[in-house]
Amino acid sequence: MSSSSSILTPAQKYAAGALFGLALHQAQIHQTRPLGFPSVDDDDGRSSDERVSSGSSSDSVSEDPQLWVHESSCLLRPIFKFLEIDNKAWSGLEETSGCSPPKHHVGAFLRLLAEESGGMPSEAVDKEHALANGVDAMASSMERNSVDDESKKEKHREYKNACQEKFSSAEIVSKTKQEEEKVPDNSPKEISHKQSITEQVHIQASFEFDEKQLEEVSYPRKVAVLYELLSACLADIPGDDKKCTRQRKGYDARHRVALRLLAAWFNVKWIKLEAMETMVACSAMALLKEEESKEETQSPKTSWAKWKRGGIIGAAALTGGTLMAITGGLAAPAIAAGFGALAPTLGTIIPVIGASGFAAVATAAGSVAGSVAVAASFGAAGAGLTGSKMARRIGDVDEFEFKAIGENHNQGLLAVEILVSGFVFEKEDFVRPWEVQHDNLERYALQWESKNLISVSTAIQDWLTSRLAMEMMKRGAMMTVLSSLLTALAWPAALLTLTDFIDSKWAIAVDRSDKAGKLLAEVLLKGLQGHRPVTLVGFSLGARVIFSCLQILAESENSAGLVERVVLLGAPIAIKDMNWEATRKVVAGRFVNAYSTNDWILGIAFRANLLTQGLAGIQPVEVPGIENVDVTSIIDGHSSYLWSTQEILEQLELDTYYPIFSPPAFKT
Amino acid sequence: MESSSSSLSSPPEFDYLFKLLLIGDSGVGKSSLLLSFTSDTFEDLSPTIGVDFKVKHVTVGGKKLKLAIWDTAGQERFRTLTSSYYRGAQGIIMVYDVTRRETFTNLSDIWAKEIDLYSTNQDCIKMLVGNKFDKDSERTVSKKEGIDFAREYGCLFIECSAKTRVNVEQCFEELVLKILETPSLLAEGSSGVKKNIFKQKPLESDASTSSCC
Repeated sequence: MSSSSSILTPAQKYAAGALFGLALHQAQIHQTRPLGFPSVDDDDGRSSDERVSSGSSSDSVSEDPQLWVHESSCLLRPIFKFLEIDNKAWSGLEETSGCSPPKHHVGAFLRLLAEESGGMPSEAVDKEHALANGVDAMASSMERNSVDDESKKEKHREYKNACQEKFSSAEIVSKTKQEEEKVPDNSPKEISHKQSITEQVHIQASFEFDEKQLEEVSYPRKVAVLYELLSACLADIPGDDKKCTRQRKGYDARHRVALRLLAAWFNVKWIKLEAMETMVACSAMALLKEEESKEETQSPKTSWAKWKRGGIIGAAALTGGTLMAITGGLAAPAIAAGFGALAPTLGTIIPVIGASGFAAVATAAGSVAGSVAVAASFGAAGAGLTGSKMARRIGDVDEFEFKAIGENHNQGLLAVEILVSGFVFEKEDFVRPWEVQHDNLERYALQWESKNLISVSTAIQDWLTSRLAMEMMKRGAMMTVLSSLLTALAWPAALLTLTDFIDSKWAIAVDRSDKAGKLLAEVLLKGLQGHRPVTLVGFSLGARVIFSCLQILAESENSAGLVERVVLLGAPIAIKDMNWEATRKVVAGRFVNAYSTNDWILGIAFRANLLTQGLAGIQPVEVPGIENVDVTSIIDGHSSYLWSTQEILEQLELDTYYPIFSPPAFKT
Repeated sequence: MESSSSSLSSPPEFDYLFKLLLIGDSGVGKSSLLLSFTSDTFEDLSPTIGVDFKVKHVTVGGKKLKLAIWDTAGQERFRTLTSSYYRGAQGIIMVYDVTRRETFTNLSDIWAKEIDLYSTNQDCIKMLVGNKFDKDSERTVSKKEGIDFAREYGCLFIECSAKTRVNVEQCFEELVLKILETPSLLAEGSSGVKKNIFKQKPLESDASTSSCC
């Protein structure tokens, strides 16, 4: 592409690249120091000499290859290259991104973006507006269909009621008793505190730079900048750097997190970016398909070679353990199917965003060849996850299968969500807790080891409804169970009967969940999700699957850009002796641990760990960068994660960059 | 002044790290000066975009120093950008072209004011550099004027040529020596206060805060 085909001027591209670099570095800092926590950069006090030295005495970026902005992580330079920023300016930009607090620079770069409007050809201004309109139209078409949503919610309510009736009566007894006893964890004070924190975070976010400078940048300009950066993130530019440690192609989770932060800085709604993602993906697919059909008529062999180069076959055709039932032969039709499914989407996109909008999109997306990676991501994806059933027994895991949820598959969504249930009574429970769509992601539920999970869940439930337990709960013994467990005091005799009953099953399930996590990690490493950023959400043993997956990823190379966000709910994971820090590092964006202080079933089932090492599903994990969310007020007992997960996810507002847990809204 | 190999060498061992900044009008030779100093070469350079950054390790007065030198664009359109780089600089080099008078007058009209406005270091060392003094025949700013300016603004002064490399090393050496003589700047630059957010232990967040978000 030549620079004339772009909407932005070189200086604006420079500023865009710089802002992206700053956002990328901030995103990495926020991994371990989320906003809302005291941090060295926060105070504006001139007196502190930290202020003065922060710019001058930190290490130079070029010496710390751990940094995302470092050359070797290969996150920033390809972007600069795509933006056609003079390579002489790269080291300065990297250093700027990595060295100093962003608030010193963001304003300046924003002003640079805002400038030069006068000198711009009117054609470019028109394009900018066309693009912005297109994105707006796309975004509004993506806003969820409210009627549909309502019916789903209704269904979910039914499910919730049914579940509650079936399973939770026993637990709820203890819950109400507990409330009567006024357990301090549940006090409203907590909630108001939460609220203030949320506000604080928002204020902090806006204080990062001068609002005035933001206003100077027009909305179409912001959209154009974000669009250009997004295209750059998705484009697959042949790199000539040998220092590069990042071999994977596709959409890097770290890029997505940086874009998310940038959108927050720009005050542009995230849905607009999701709209852009779809637009870029679809236009790239269309162009690629055109090229593909052209090439096919000439020589099928070269096109096959091209696909290989594109990384699709590498991703889809599995070698080694023949873990999944996908072979090269199976993958090829799947790819074709992916294309076929996409074509109509493109047909709908053009009327939505308008022809001029589409022209602007195509221009901004740049060269056709540049966007191969997106399309590659995409093609393998449809069949990639759902098709990955277990070919044979691997490491004791009998069942491991992805189920597509929702109807938005193969529609150009560039982010994937994998949802893992871990406390199930029937096979439906793998899918049903997730059916209400709360975001615009391509969603898959993982169905794994249903036999074991159902058996352990049922065993727990049976015990709960057993006379002994009922009796005990009536006497209000259960509310003291957790505290006695925590303080390692005397155990109620009834608990000992539980232990015989459940322990062996629980132990097997825990073991399987670790193994399933390993499989999940392999799936992700092989790019079956289509080289797209993944959001992992799981409750109970499902959370353990995710954690075990993250542990494997933390040990593997090249895994940093896979996972974008993680939500663990009621996780049976020890706090001590587990490498939470390392797992935090493989998650580019938010890492949430939702716990309930009265989840005593979890406490009993996992008591061995609870006593000595702490338990993530019951206690906050005091590891920097992990958002601990107390959901005690929503969760009645361990089984209520089945129907309350949705509510928790809604309150987490995962699409927000900053840590948020909005206090429960009043619903009737 | 001996210099060791540049940035990518293994663990940087240095006693002090100084941040230096090059400012001045477009085309006076800031980037050339930097290139001449860091890699002993001279070539025709296109105007700097935004900012450039180079590292050089030197030993001055028995101290191992790491110089982080920021080279800013002189062009008007980047001025908003460069303002944010004054922060925390221990040494600021104002460059003018001895053959172009306006680059000299702009120093007092624009650049000195920028320093007052944006620099966060009261004691930071300023240095006036008249570049391109190999073109003595085309000179429009006399050495005397340079010295007077330097006296008025309380800064060091040297004339040099990035092209012939005369006085380039001396220019940086003089500046660094002066920084070494200034205790407050020294304290900032000592490697003791060097901090890296990913290496140092994270701040302790009190339990009440961390438990809720």
